[in-house]
Amino acid sequence: MENIRVMIVDDSTFSIAVLKRMLQKDGLEIVGTALNMNDAIQIAQEIKPDLITMDMTLPDGDGIECSKEILKHLKETKIIAISAMMDEEIIQRAKKVGIKAYLQKPVDQTDLDAAIERLFEGEELYGVLKSNFEEAFRESIFSFLKREIGGDVVVQKVADHAMTTNSSGISVAIGIIGRHDGRLIMDMSEATALGMTRKILQDEGQQIDDAINFLSEFTNIIGGNACSLLNGLNRSFGLRVSPPTVFRGKDITISIGDIMSESFIIKTDLGDVFMNVGFQKGEVAWM
Amino acid sequence: MDVAIINSFIASVTDVMPQLGFGSINIKNQLEKSKKIVASGIVLTLGIVGDKKGNVAYAIDTEGAKQIASIMMMGMPVDELDDMAKSAISELSNMLTANASINLSNESINVDISPPTMLTGDSIELSMSKDQIMCVEFDIDGIMLEINVALD
Repeated sequence: MENIRVMIVDDSTFSIAVLKRMLQKDGLEIVGTALNMNDAIQIAQEIKPDLITMDMTLPDGDGIECSKEILKHLKETKIIAISAMMDEEIIQRAKKVGIKAYLQKPVDQTDLDAAIERLFEGEELYGVLKSNFEEAFRESIFSFLKREIGGDVVVQKVADHAMTTNSSGISVAIGIIGRHDGRLIMDMSEATALGMTRKILQDEGQQIDDAINFLSEFTNIIGGNACSLLNGLNRSFGLRVSPPTVFRGKDITISIGDIMSESFIIKTDLGDVFMNVGFQKGEVAWM
Repeated sequence: MDVAIINSFIASVTDVMPQLGFGSINIKNQLEKSKKIVASGIVLTLGIVGDKKGNVAYAIDTEGAKQIASIMMMGMPVDELDDMAKSAISELSNMLTANASINLSNESINVDISPPTMLTGDSIELSMSKDQIMCVEFDIDGIMLEINVALD
């Protein structure tokens, strides 16, 4: 937890001293303190801290009002409420204005550490996800096709994909839900889907409905395996896949530009497969 | 299917749409469909996991989508469904589903939702994860919005 710049807002100099010691122990940099709401709003705007610990009772207002005002201008700043007072009503009000966590005084060092860690690990985790998801999905689809279809399997990354892509016939979408959410889209022609189904089941009699079932399960396996690989890197990802939705038709356009995503063309002996996978930064869950 | 589930989605539409500036919201039809659904225009699907698992698919025809996008963008004229208009519709599906998930949590059903996937086309055939799908057709100021929920 280095390089996190903190500001402490509390009407008691004693509490400020206690919090200062605890935060410094964690290696955080204390960049400002304020004893009342007016100073807090002004100083926060000047120093733009990463984190603010906010007392709920201030001489010229309350911590909720103060947080609301600060967050109006500082969207990236995270606020942890630290107060002797804690009940369901005030917690709900705190949540509503965008306070990320609520701790009761006297604050325990372990609780404070855990709250800060969870608030800031999201950023780090997103970075880890960004640099690893591509490989996980490549690996997952490559090994499945190599094992089940055989022959030549080449995974090619599409350098700059457009905002939309045209479906080759059948598309499958799976939602990915976890600390950061995402989405997996698989697309191939009916002929390719049928070819793969017939090959895997060794049955030439397989029809289009069977191919739809195959593609749906295929996407589920690729998504599930890749997410397990990622969860193995860091359990905090907590990635789970939703059941697939299959789309079939002529001239279907799929929007893929709305979230950070990567596209791949997988060349197989039975035809091409298009895969798009992407993630978006999730909000910090309430603590 | 549990009435609480479909009611959560209905309540979401009746809560969210007026906030965006829509006036009259009426249920035209409520029925159970078999696995395959055919839709034209825009289809948005979101994955759902948690106490219940499945997905939801919203269908709006292109003209309706343009009107919705226009109202969501403070009355800006929308002549074609460009990226901005699509983004508005995508955000709507997100808002409706997130709101439904809050309604579900009030019924002690806790679920999380994925980002939406958007498709456009004519006669899109949809297969959802369940054989029986709850479908509600809304008339929102003359715009038809169809919600298909497959959750169990």
